[in-house]
Amino acid sequence: MSEIVLRVENLRTSFFTRRGEVKAVDGVSFYVRESETFGLVGESACGKSVTALSILRLLPEPAGRIIGGKVILEGINLLDISKKAMRAFRGKKVSMILQDPMTSLNPVYTIGDQIAESVRLHQGLPDNMVQPEVISALRLLRIPAPEMRLRDYPFQLSGGMRQRVVGAIAMSCHPRLLIADEPTTALDATIQAQYIALFQEVQKKTQVAIIFITHDFGVVGKMCHRVGVMYAGKIVETAPTRVLFQAPRHPYTIALINSVPRLDRKDERLYSIEGQPPSLMNLPPGCRFFPRCSVSETVCREQEPPEVKVGDEHLVSCWKVK
Amino acid sequence: MTEALLEARDLTKYYPVTKGLLQRTIGWVRAIDGVSFSVEQGKTLSLVGESGAGKTTTARAVLLLEKLTSGLLFFEGKDIYQFSPSQLKALYRPRVQAVQQNPWSSMNPRMRVRDIVGEPLAVNTKQTKKQIRDRVEQLLAQVGLRPDHAESYPHEFSGGQRQRIAVARALALNPSLVVLDEPVSALDVSIRAQIMNLLKDLQVQNNLSYLVIAHNLATVRYMAHTVAIMYLGQIVEYGQAEELFQQPLHPYTRALISASLLILPEDEEKGKQQIILTGEMPSPLNPPSGCRFHTRCAEAQEECSKVIPEIKVIGTHWVKCLHYN
Repeated sequence: MSEIVLRVENLRTSFFTRRGEVKAVDGVSFYVRESETFGLVGESACGKSVTALSILRLLPEPAGRIIGGKVILEGINLLDISKKAMRAFRGKKVSMILQDPMTSLNPVYTIGDQIAESVRLHQGLPDNMVQPEVISALRLLRIPAPEMRLRDYPFQLSGGMRQRVVGAIAMSCHPRLLIADEPTTALDATIQAQYIALFQEVQKKTQVAIIFITHDFGVVGKMCHRVGVMYAGKIVETAPTRVLFQAPRHPYTIALINSVPRLDRKDERLYSIEGQPPSLMNLPPGCRFFPRCSVSETVCREQEPPEVKVGDEHLVSCWKVK
Repeated sequence: MTEALLEARDLTKYYPVTKGLLQRTIGWVRAIDGVSFSVEQGKTLSLVGESGAGKTTTARAVLLLEKLTSGLLFFEGKDIYQFSPSQLKALYRPRVQAVQQNPWSSMNPRMRVRDIVGEPLAVNTKQTKKQIRDRVEQLLAQVGLRPDHAESYPHEFSGGQRQRIAVARALALNPSLVVLDEPVSALDVSIRAQIMNLLKDLQVQNNLSYLVIAHNLATVRYMAHTVAIMYLGQIVEYGQAEELFQQPLHPYTRALISASLLILPEDEEKGKQQIILTGEMPSPLNPPSGCRFHTRCAEAQEECSKVIPEIKVIGTHWVKCLHYN
C-alpha cells in the first residue's frame, strides 16, 4: 500500500466567543495516502471546514485556536513549527481549493498572474521559468489554449473554467496534499461530472493525496476512496467508500444515506432524521447523536462511545456496534 | 386524466441587450423560447435543468413577475392575459403562491413569524385580527411548528424551520398552485428529507398542485409526477416521471441522469462508464443553430446543426431530438 502523506491525530479546535467555547473539532483522527482521496462528509457546522483550516493553520485568530492534537506531514508536526516555516508548507506541500471560485480568485489580476504568483513565491524560479510552469499547470487542468487564456480575467471565464484555474493554482507547485472544500458544489451537474473526472486524471498523473470535503453523497461515491462521516465535531464512522454505502454501521450514517433520495429507484417515503444537530457550545455528555438516534440506550446518554474497528479500515464510534 | 390546472403555451421571454448612451438594442437573450407545459390538479410538475436553462424565468412568468415576449397562460381553462388587474388580484394571484430557494433572504428579518405568515391574509382578505391569528396558528401546526413560534423572529430559527415558515406563508391563502423554486437545495441533507416529506403530505392533504424548479434529479424523482427537462431556454424532453427516468430519450437527459447517479468506485471499472459531456452550455444570446444541444451531444450528426428538431410524441412522453424514432 502506498505511503501515508498526512496523519491527523486527535485534532481539537475551538472557537472562543463571548458566549463560551465552541468545540468545532473535537478529537478528529484520520490519514490520507499517496494517490488516495479521503472524503470528509457531513452537514453544515459539523466541523469539516474547520478541520481543513486547522491542517493549514488558517483559522481566524484570535477566536479560533487549535487546542490539541497532531497534524503530521512528511514526519513533521505542522502544529509545532513556526508561522514562517508553516508558510513554506502552505501552497508548496499542501494547497487548498475553496468552494466558490469567484471569491477565491482576484478579479483585477489575470489568471496567468495569479498562477504565477504562487509559482514565484513557492518555487523561487527565475522570471523566464515562471511562464512555462504556469502553462503546464493550466494544461494539467485541461484548460484549452493556455497561452491565450493566461491573459484572461476571471470574469471572462465560465464557472467551470474558473474552478479549473483555482485547481491550476493549487497544483502549480506540485503539492503532496490537496484539500478541496466543496469544490464542485457551485457547479452544474454536467460540469461537476467533468471536474470530478478531471481531478481523477490529475491525481493519476501527480499521485497527490486529496482531502475532499463535501455534503453530497453522490460526489463521494464518484471521487473518494475512503470516507469519514462527521457529526458535531467528531468523525463517527470511517470506511472505504464501497463499504460505507453498502454496509454502513453508525446510525447517523445509515440515516443520512437513507434520507437522500435515489435516482435509480422510486422512493415512496424518505427516511427523515428528526430534530437538528446539537449546539457545539452545550454538547450532550454522551454520544452526540443520541438525541436524534432511533436505537439509543441509557449508556449512549451517559458516556461517549469508543471507536471500534469493525473491518478493514472500518472504524465506528457507537455503543450499539460491537 | 385530470384537467390541467395551469397550462402554459409557447412561453417566450427575450431580454434586450443594449449598448451605448442611447441604449440601442444590439441583441436578445433568449431566456425561454417556446416553453409549453401543463400542471394537473393535485400533481407536481418539475422543471429541471442547469443554470441558464430558463427554469426560473419560467417560474417568474407563471407568477406574473415577468412580462412575456409572447405566449399564453391558462388557469382552469381561462386565459389569464385577458384578465383585468382586479380580476387577476381576485382570481389568479391569491391562488398561485411561491416558496423561494433561500429561507435566509425570503423573509423580512424585522417581522415576527405571526406577521410574515399573516401578511397574505391581511393584504388579500378582510379577516379580523383574531381570525388571522387563529389561521396563522393553524398554518404553523400544519407545517410542524408550535403556536408559540409565531412570536419569534426569523433569525431564531434553523434553515429547515425557516423553510417551514415560508411554506406556511405560501399556504395562507389556500392556493391551488404553489411554485417552489429549489425548495430544498439551500438546506442540509438530513433536513431536506423532512421538508420534502412535509411538502408531499401537504400536497395530499390540500390537493395542491406544485410547479417545482430543481437541478437535483434525485429530488425531482422523489417529488414529481411529471418532469420537463430544460436546456438553453427550451424543453427538450417531457414526460411522466417514472417513464422518463427509466427510459430517458434525449441524449441530454441521459447525460444528466448519468451525472447524478450514485456510482461507487469499482462500478466504473466494471464498465458502468458514465457519460461526461464536453464543453459548457452555449450563450442564450446566440444559441446554436438546429438542435441547441448539438454542440455538446455525443450522438450529434451533421443534420443536427441544420435542422431544428420537431417534437416527437410517444404516448404522454415527448422528446425533441432528430435521432429518436
